[in-house]
Amino acid sequence: MGFREHAARVRRILGIVLAVLLLGGVAAVLVAGGDKDKGTATKTVRGVIGSEKAEFFADPQVVKALADKGFTVGIETSGSWDMEELPLDGYDFAFPSSKGPADELRAKAQKAKGKATTAPLRPFYSPLVVVAHSAAARVLADNGLATLGPRGTSGSLKMDAYLAAARADRTWQQLKGSSGHAELSGTLFITSTDPVASNSGALYLAAASYVADGGRVAGDKAAVTRTAPLLQKLVRVQGAQQSGSDAPFRDFISGVGNPLVLVYESQVAAQLLAGHPMGDLVVLYPDTTVNSDHTLVPLTENGRALGELLSTDPELRKLAVRHGFRPQGAASEFTTATNSHTAYLNQTLSGVRQAPVPTSAVLHEMALRARDQGDTA
Amino acid sequence: MNRAATRPADPRTAPRTTPGAARRVTARMRRTAAGTVARLAGGRGRSGASRAARGATAALALALLAGACSGVDGTDRPDEHGMEFVPGTLRVLASSELADMEPVLDTARRETGVTVRLTYTGTLDAVERIASGEADKGYDAIWLSSNDYLRLRPDTAKKITGETPIMTSPVALGVRPATVARLGWDPAKVTWSQLHRAVADGRLTYGMTDPKRSNSGFSALVSVSSGLSGAQSALTQADVHRATPKLKEFFTGQKLTSGSSGWLATAYGRRSDVDALVNYESVLLSSFPSERLTVIRPTDGVVTADYPFTLLASARPEAKDAARRLTNYLRTPAAQDRITKSTLRRPVVAGVRPAAALAQDQRRELPFPGSRAVADGLLDAYDNTLRRPSRTVYVLDTSGSMSGDRLDRLKSALAELTGDFRDREEVTLMPFGSAVKQNEVRTHTVDPDSPKAALDAIRSDARGLTASGGTAIYSSLQEAYRFLGRAPGDTFTSVVLMTDGENTDGDPASAFDAFYRSLPAEQRRTPVFPILFGDSDRGELDHIANLTGGQLFDATKGSLDGAFEEIRGYQ
Repeated sequence: MGFREHAARVRRILGIVLAVLLLGGVAAVLVAGGDKDKGTATKTVRGVIGSEKAEFFADPQVVKALADKGFTVGIETSGSWDMEELPLDGYDFAFPSSKGPADELRAKAQKAKGKATTAPLRPFYSPLVVVAHSAAARVLADNGLATLGPRGTSGSLKMDAYLAAARADRTWQQLKGSSGHAELSGTLFITSTDPVASNSGALYLAAASYVADGGRVAGDKAAVTRTAPLLQKLVRVQGAQQSGSDAPFRDFISGVGNPLVLVYESQVAAQLLAGHPMGDLVVLYPDTTVNSDHTLVPLTENGRALGELLSTDPELRKLAVRHGFRPQGAASEFTTATNSHTAYLNQTLSGVRQAPVPTSAVLHEMALRARDQGDTA
Repeated sequence: MNRAATRPADPRTAPRTTPGAARRVTARMRRTAAGTVARLAGGRGRSGASRAARGATAALALALLAGACSGVDGTDRPDEHGMEFVPGTLRVLASSELADMEPVLDTARRETGVTVRLTYTGTLDAVERIASGEADKGYDAIWLSSNDYLRLRPDTAKKITGETPIMTSPVALGVRPATVARLGWDPAKVTWSQLHRAVADGRLTYGMTDPKRSNSGFSALVSVSSGLSGAQSALTQADVHRATPKLKEFFTGQKLTSGSSGWLATAYGRRSDVDALVNYESVLLSSFPSERLTVIRPTDGVVTADYPFTLLASARPEAKDAARRLTNYLRTPAAQDRITKSTLRRPVVAGVRPAAALAQDQRRELPFPGSRAVADGLLDAYDNTLRRPSRTVYVLDTSGSMSGDRLDRLKSALAELTGDFRDREEVTLMPFGSAVKQNEVRTHTVDPDSPKAALDAIRSDARGLTASGGTAIYSSLQEAYRFLGRAPGDTFTSVVLMTDGENTDGDPASAFDAFYRSLPAEQRRTPVFPILFGDSDRGELDHIANLTGGQLFDATKGSLDGAFEEIRGYQ
């Protein structure tokens, strides 16, 4: 009651809080919905997003572009898989980093509110890639695990051959050409994030299981069981895993981590577009990979309008490209912006097959089993 | 998805050491945390700065509370006032070696308006404080050398958010150039096996921090265990088991231990008989010129710290905003360039060149254990099996002035401490008044097969202490040295001195100084760790610590248990 009576003040406080949140790109304050300004000047929308998009929403140019179209966006970040645990009241949209959690969120919203939410929108996406130091990439290529482009700064990772090597516990020392590189020793593996907590780690397993199971998407427990021993190997060799994709990439840049690290293409592209020198980095596109489809689930009309805007507004699409994302639809924006970086980026994703992602439930089970914690009945 | 619920320690990879031993590890760590909290709450350590920080915190908390109330009661000015009041100060629990970042953080304050107040702590202590929720009460963020151990704890997963690695530094060995030459090594091509061989042959000794308190010690333990077991991927219990004989040999070479890397470097500087020092590459390069230490990163692998600036999930939104401004700044090429040049850590931003002193050939990064069972099993093995045992004399003031509350506190602190003694450890309680109370001096050794017997006996001895007589500090210390000299052994030997007053009986300080200087070199390496308590004289105790290469611990404002516990890292 008191709350309603002081609605104006609450709005003002909310405004301050949102300003802070927008500056920081982080959020934690909840205010019950229903007090939203219905005026035509500014639509204030709130959403929960995957952390990899926090920098995009915090970018002052993005804030300005949204304001020009009448939007003030407050965001909270959450692991894509953790969003399902959040109460959805009071949000205008949810923006996880792949389709699986988006489908679950949509189903949950429909069930909870009987809301006929409109279809999810996918304003932009980014494929998973593997970054390698040049010596590691060359050894992989010399041993039939990868092919490299003419400049040697990008290429393709042969997933079949890689998984066969993983199955056989192949070490770097067993690969020809590795001697003389102290860092190339021990079991050959790709560093990923924790698949239970983080989207990119889970999508890595999705791609691996698709390849290992002869090009079939895991649809049930039996399918998960078939590939679990291999997926356990992929995870177990890594030891402690990070819970976000930024840290392993930073270790890589610093020259101290594992020589093969799974990242989003957008992380590499953002560095290239910012003009940073890339050192001896090589981008390997797995011949079968998974796209991280940043999927916006509208929960209100305003949320839907924001999704439309992100999908269609040329300025916002351009800004998404600057953060390394590929806008959906015509590829020209991404290819134009990255034209001087073709030594690293496979602009058209030629020769890269997209593995479909299992449902959220199956992927959860897959991640738990890979970490040796699932139902092993 | 509930991450916490899905990450239990896997029972199938549980340590092969006794479950009881594993439990002791955890119990000890918990106590460590409690002790540290108590001491900090009491204001010891960098007291000026941290007291100021606490004052600011209290003011801030009050301001926010007022603000929060105003939303309900209709006076909204205090809220905005509260916002103005927040000068963008981040209270950060940090690894002690980050003291070298203070000049960079001063610049960061000018550039971003964010003030960072660092409170230094050991990595594993910090983990305990996060798990227990203590950290939430006084801090906005943590900044440790690594979050690897933190990640193994399911009870911390929901308490942290937003990890931003800032810089990296591998754990390496600094070896005296003369030793490198004597061993005929090319410093760029030394393996863990070679290091082990040199130690086993009696040709290499080193200092390393306590793996249970310090991340550099823990990282070194993981590295050498991987190296000597030949593990090709993340370490397992089977690997540790296989490497145990070689690890035992390797740890016979550890002549110095420490609860902090700072003291280790100082202690190493005093010793001419220790050949090498295990520490972060950045600390080795910054503390010692290259003619004193040659940095070796073993070619078969290292564990690297990546210093993630990590928000506590409980931090207020404005603190989270300040943290983002800070980390954005620290990741700018200019800040990264400054960091690598001034701290000799490695940059994490593409295009920034590492400082010239940093070797560019790459190393294999050894995976950190993926389960808590393996990590704790390794710590437990180190304490109870691998390391040289400790031998300690507790010289305890039980003079008349200790009667009542002070003696009770001493007894309860000793009872608390008892749970912490390691297998094979020799503990002597030497109470004194006007002289050492010879008929109350007792020595117990913790037998790995039945540790309880010795621990119970120590507890019982502690309960039986009585207060009487004057205070003969210096005569009693001499007695402790004489006791230790009667049966020298291959142990970490030290003396803890707890007194609540000034010297009133027996020899004066000058006599002790002369006595100490007349000791054989081997005995002069036994440090005294005095504890400031009650009305004891700081100058007197500082002098003893400096003379013997020990360190003073202050229990006057904090707790005696805390001081005893902190000293464990040096024993």
